[in-house]
Amino acid sequence: MNDDAVHITELRKNYGKFEALRGLNLTVPRGQIFGLLGANGAGKTTLIKVLIGLGRYHSGQVSVLGLNPQTQARSLRRQIGYMPQESALYEDLSARDNVRFFGRAHAIQNLEARIDQILEFVNLRERQHEAVHRFSGGMKQRVSLACALVHQPTLMLLDEPTAGIDPKLRETLWMHFRTLAAQGVTIIVSTHQMDEALHCDHIAVMREGVVLASDTPRGLLGRGTAHIKIWNGAQVVDETLAQYPEELPRLLQRFHLDPTVSRIEVVEDTLEDIILNLINGKVPAAS
Amino acid sequence: MLTQVFAIAVRVLRQLAHDRRFVALSLIVPFFIIWMLNIFFDAVEFPVFRPKQFIVPAAAFIVHFLTYVLCAIVLVRERTAQTLARMFVNGYQRSSIITGYILAYSLLATLQSLIVLISIQVFFELDYAPETMLAIYGVFWLLALISIALGIFVSNFARNEGQVFPFIPLMTMPSVFFSGMIVPVSQMPDWAGFLSTFTPLYYAIEGLHALTDNGGDLAMLWGLPPYGLIVLTLATLTLREQE
Repeated sequence: MNDDAVHITELRKNYGKFEALRGLNLTVPRGQIFGLLGANGAGKTTLIKVLIGLGRYHSGQVSVLGLNPQTQARSLRRQIGYMPQESALYEDLSARDNVRFFGRAHAIQNLEARIDQILEFVNLRERQHEAVHRFSGGMKQRVSLACALVHQPTLMLLDEPTAGIDPKLRETLWMHFRTLAAQGVTIIVSTHQMDEALHCDHIAVMREGVVLASDTPRGLLGRGTAHIKIWNGAQVVDETLAQYPEELPRLLQRFHLDPTVSRIEVVEDTLEDIILNLINGKVPAAS
Repeated sequence: MLTQVFAIAVRVLRQLAHDRRFVALSLIVPFFIIWMLNIFFDAVEFPVFRPKQFIVPAAAFIVHFLTYVLCAIVLVRERTAQTLARMFVNGYQRSSIITGYILAYSLLATLQSLIVLISIQVFFELDYAPETMLAIYGVFWLLALISIALGIFVSNFARNEGQVFPFIPLMTMPSVFFSGMIVPVSQMPDWAGFLSTFTPLYYAIEGLHALTDNGGDLAMLWGLPPYGLIVLTLATLTLREQE
């Protein structure tokens, strides 16, 4: 018995002859936003289905909140929330009816008050009585999040929740996830959008059914190299730095940088930052 | 479990209330088919055949076929939309899901059976006693409930809506030929008689023949409740939670 939210050892799962998970090892500490990153087909959805007890596995050991998802699914499901890749809602029903239906599976006291609270959290109180088929993709995802949260789970498993959503709504969803994590909820979120890694406390990079690396975003960034090009007259200096901010002053000393300068960092806005700043009005639009 | 069953039934009924075209067609189609049968029987002279005796078993088949087809699609839709997976993860039990669906659709089946009964009475001017008509309605209703369970059972074996269609003739064609609707089971070869016991229509039609003084065996109606329970159990056991 350990205190981690998830502990997996040598997990294997096949679909016929295809090995979807090939001896996967993973530990997810409690109270973190844990990102599962990888391209389509890396095994992220298969792993999440195993963790929620919807996918059988062939060998290995899996513990979710101290329970075996294959044999103790009923006990486990009282404590977990699941947001599938598709919105998975009843489109002809209202947002409130959807949340109420999924909430009724649990013996929740004051269910209606809890629904009010959760719809407030996802900013859908004003449109709670509208049929879901009238909603945009982002709003449907917020209803989906509300359905997963209604019974106040301690572990949330979110399968590509931001896929196909515009940057502003993506940011809103991540804001919700951060709020939940601050309340002590462990969040496991899969994504194939690499820029979302920076939102996570910890990341596991997956490929072909195995975890290639598991680290903090900063730790992973530290594994990278920086390529520096300096044009000095007709000469072009092209250097690769394994320890980018620390080694940069030493390189620039060759071009007469004051030796007392110990560290130089250049932080450029990513494309996502620029788009978000434009949308949020922090940068004036070009005339 | 009861809370879950009622939650599912209420949700399905709310969805049906929003899908008025589906409900309207489900109720109009049997009326239309019986009206067409009446026109056909009026237009053709049969030397031996008596349409009034044939229409009651035929109406049972209409009830069985329509409820079976309508329900064969429902859980497949839930599976492809991932709402079934979400129901499981949110704690709904397999037995609650099946029972909840049957409870909700039984309301539609009650109305549909009533429309079929009224239609055959109006178009074919049946002259049975009120208690016989009530008994006929009871058989239709029970058959409709079993057909709902059968439809849901079959939908467990389909991964998408297209895969449901091969199951429709697989269940309904044996019902047409082996149930005793066209040829009495007593005149069939042994193997066909054996196959007839696997279709719910056989038990219903035997009972209906007895009720309408057309041979048959009233006691065969006792075959319907256990048949329904077996299908209900099979539907629950085959509803896959894990892949």
